[in-house]
Amino acid sequence: MAGEELALMTVEMVEASQLGMKAIAAALAVGLTGFATAIAEMTIGSAAVGATAENKDVFGLVLLLTVIPETIVIFGLVVALLLIF
Amino acid sequence: MSDFASGPKPYVYVCTRLRVRKSKLIPREDYLRLLNMGIPEITRFIEETQYKKEIDELATSFSGIDLIELALSWNLAKEYQNIQRITPGVLKRFTQSYLRKWDIQNVLSIFRGKMQGMKPGKVREIMVPAGELDKVFLDRLIKEETPERVLEALKGQSVYPVIAAGFTAALEEGSFARVENELYRQFYANLLTEARSGFKGGRQFLQYIMLDIDITNIRSMFRLRADRMQEDARAMMIDGGTFSIEEFQQLISIEEDREFIDTLKSKVRLKPLLLLLDELAGGRKTLREIEIDLIKVQLAQMESFTKQNPFSIHPILTYLEKKKYEIFNLRAIARGKEVNLPTDRIRGYLVM
Repeated sequence: MAGEELALMTVEMVEASQLGMKAIAAALAVGLTGFATAIAEMTIGSAAVGATAENKDVFGLVLLLTVIPETIVIFGLVVALLLIF
Repeated sequence: MSDFASGPKPYVYVCTRLRVRKSKLIPREDYLRLLNMGIPEITRFIEETQYKKEIDELATSFSGIDLIELALSWNLAKEYQNIQRITPGVLKRFTQSYLRKWDIQNVLSIFRGKMQGMKPGKVREIMVPAGELDKVFLDRLIKEETPERVLEALKGQSVYPVIAAGFTAALEEGSFARVENELYRQFYANLLTEARSGFKGGRQFLQYIMLDIDITNIRSMFRLRADRMQEDARAMMIDGGTFSIEEFQQLISIEEDREFIDTLKSKVRLKPLLLLLDELAGGRKTLREIEIDLIKVQLAQMESFTKQNPFSIHPILTYLEKKKYEIFNLRAIARGKEVNLPTDRIRGYLVM
């Protein structure tokens, strides 16, 4: 029974399925890294606001530190683009 | 903020703020410089640090040592109130319970001032309205004529029952020492209940309280031994730490200094404390030096707690304690300079 169904799949169907899988993988790559970035930035951001409240001179520096976890989501985006194209 | 603040964010925010504030405290080198200055220079120096606002505000009505004293007290109270405002949720609760220590100090200072017939203005200078009793309430107490009236005004406050119980005896004796011991015992008992009531972060708070109780008990032991006073030692001891009442009694009744230190060493486990005891076993130190060393041990241990739990109650308590000692140090230097004490003598009173 299962063998009969497999035999019925055409090349187009397999290709479409592969494309779907790639799309899911790309979505996971961007989505999960986005979450990871958010969690990392949450902690750094709170500390950055705390430090700026006490000493305004560090604003530029802590802003830079806060966006460093953005690299995680950029890696995710690059992997997603490589998967799709 | 405190009602909906949850997760690690508010802890990170507050702990970072206080860590920055801690880094702004006066360093050791500056204390050494201050020791060589006169009162006007000291005033100018602290005006350039965190005390500018208070000095500017008070400079029109006060001068000299009074200006420094009042500015320091105001700054400390303002700082403590500000911390209570920025700490969220459970941390705020713990901080407030810890700050109730100042209520005891303020109320007892008022009673002592009244008994000695001090002027209300002089008593007001040493008030630190950081606890439950605010500035307005303390002002009202200071304005009362007699100790009895002060007690009457305290009705309904958490310190009232203990003071009322020992009040007559204290007036007869002319000393509030027993009431003070009892108040501190109650204070620590309340802190222990609070830390053990199952709030998140209670374990870290408990760590601090146990350390504080142990150091206070050890300090009492050294004091009692120096005074050769043993009869009412049990009233001096605070329950809940490493030592039981029997152990405390046994330790202070040991005659030999060496034997006392060895027995004490076998009971404690804190590394910095053991190192200090080793040092004490070797040379002769005065009681004042031992007390300062014990404070340093406590601060060192609190720093290490802070490193172990960077986002907990520890960074807050460490900052509060260090700030308190900064004020003590500045006050000691200013008072010492006022009465022309030699520099070495003043240095002996500093925690740095």
